[in-house]
Amino acid sequence: MSRGTEKKSVVIALCGKGGVGKTTLSASIVRALARDPGNRVLAIDADPAVGLATALGVTVRKTVDDVRNDFIELVKKRQAGDRERVISLLDYEMLGALHEEGNIAFLAIGRPETEGCYCQVNDMLKDIIASITGNFDYTVIDAEAGVEQVNRRVLEKVTHLLLVSDLSAKGLNVAKTIREVAASAVGFERAGLIINRARSASEVDSVALPESLELLGAVPEDETIRRADIEAVSFLALPETPAFGALEQCLEKIGVAAKGSCAAGQGA
Amino acid sequence: MNLFDDTIQQLRSFLDEKKASGGLRTMKVSPSDWPAGEKGNIVLGTDTGVELGNPRDESASFMVWTEKAGDVRDGAVHIVGPDLSESAGKSLPFGKAVILGVEGMDEENCYGRHRALELVRYDLNLKGYMMRAVSQYLREWSRVSRQAVADGFSFAALAGALAGMYRKIEYVKAVEFVFVTSSAADVRSLGETGSRVERLIGAMNKMAQEMSFDCGTCDFTDVCSEVEDLRNMRKNLGGDADVARH
Repeated sequence: MSRGTEKKSVVIALCGKGGVGKTTLSASIVRALARDPGNRVLAIDADPAVGLATALGVTVRKTVDDVRNDFIELVKKRQAGDRERVISLLDYEMLGALHEEGNIAFLAIGRPETEGCYCQVNDMLKDIIASITGNFDYTVIDAEAGVEQVNRRVLEKVTHLLLVSDLSAKGLNVAKTIREVAASAVGFERAGLIINRARSASEVDSVALPESLELLGAVPEDETIRRADIEAVSFLALPETPAFGALEQCLEKIGVAAKGSCAAGQGA
Repeated sequence: MNLFDDTIQQLRSFLDEKKASGGLRTMKVSPSDWPAGEKGNIVLGTDTGVELGNPRDESASFMVWTEKAGDVRDGAVHIVGPDLSESAGKSLPFGKAVILGVEGMDEENCYGRHRALELVRYDLNLKGYMMRAVSQYLREWSRVSRQAVADGFSFAALAGALAGMYRKIEYVKAVEFVFVTSSAADVRSLGETGSRVERLIGAMNKMAQEMSFDCGTCDFTDVCSEVEDLRNMRKNLGGDADVARH
C-alpha cells in the first residue's frame, strides 16, 4: 500500500504527568479511530511501563529496545557489519516487533537498559519508526510521563499534541511545561488540553486552567473504563460510554475526526 | 574469480534433484514493467495476499556470482513449489537464490562489487511488494499485497524487476533466479547451501573492516584455507596469508 501519498498521516501524542490517564485515553483514541475499518492505526507505547499493550489486549513479544539491545550485542561481538547491513537488520527486526491485528498495529518502545552511547542506532531507529508511521493513517503515541521524551526519538513527527491532565495543580503545571518545551522541540500542527476523570462540568469551570493551553474538553470518570482497567479488559471490546463520546468530541475539536459508527473491536 | 562456484554446483544439484522428482518449473523472467511503489513501504497484514519467509517460518536468501558465463542460464526463473498466484492467503517458507554471471572481478574490486550487488535488492520498489532482508542471517521476509496478487504479480515478475536492476550494473552479464516455497525442509536445504556463502562474505567483511591479519585467532580460517580467492584477497590487503599452514 502507499498510504503516504493517498492521505496525510496524522501522528497524535498524549503527554502529561504520570497517573493522569494518558494510557487510558490513548487506548480510547485507538479504539475510536480503528472503528472505521478503512483507517490504518498504529499504536506506539512509548511509556516504559507498557500499559497501552494491556489496554489494547496485546501481548508484547519484542520492543524497540529489545531490537536495540540485540543489535548492541552484535556490535560487542563485532558481527553488526557496515551501515547498510545495520540499517537492513534494524529495519527487519523493527517490522518483526510490529504486532498487527486487524486494522491496528502496535509497537512498544520498551525500557532502555543498556548503558553507553549508541546515538547512531537511536537515530536509525527514529528514522525507521518515522518511516513506519508514514504507512498508517493515524499513529497514537502513549508517551512517557513528564517532559523528557518530548525531545527524543518518537515525538519528532507529531502532528497533534494532546496534553492530558486531571484537575490537580501539579498535573496542569506539567501539561503547561510540556507545551512550552514542545513549542521548540516538536513541529506539531495542533495542541490542546484534555482534562481527564472530571467529576462535573462545574468542577472544570471552577479551576483556573493555564492560558497557554487550549482546552479541548473534559472526559468524565467512567465506571466501564475503570472496571476495564482493573480487570485488564481490552478497550477494543468495550461498549460506547459517555467518556468515549466526550473524548471523540475533543478529537473533533482538534481536527481529528473519529469517523465510523460500526461496532468497536476490529482489532487486537 | 570463482569464490562461489562450489555453491553454484550445489544449487545445480538441488535443482536437478527437484527436476527429477517433478517439483521444478522453469520459466523466463517477465518484462520489468511492474509499477513502482514507494521505498520503505509496508504491506500490512490486513492487505497481505501472500507472505513469504515470515520470521516465524523458514527463510533463506543469498546471491552468488561467477565469471563462468556458461554456468548461468540467463533469464531463467526456477520455481520449486507454488507461485504467488497459487498461494493467495498463505504464509509460506521462502527460499531465494540469485546467480549472476559477471566479468572483471579481481582481488581488489571483489569486495566492493559484491557489496554493490548485495544492496541491489534493497533498492527494489514495486507496488504491492514489501521486502525486508538480513544478509547476515540469509533471511528475507516479503509480503505481496492482495491487490498485487490479483493483478498478476508473480515470481517471474519479481525476477524481471530484479534482473532489470542487476543488468544496469556494467559487469553483470547474466541473471538467473531460484525461488523455493515448497516446504520448510526444502528452504532449509537451500539455506544449508547458502550458509557457505555467508561464511565467505563474513571472511571478506572481516578482511575489509579489520586491520588484524592474525590467522591464528581468526574465525574464518576454515573457509580461507579452502578458497584460494580469499587468500589472494588477503594477500592483496597486505596480510601474509599464512592461513594454509593453520
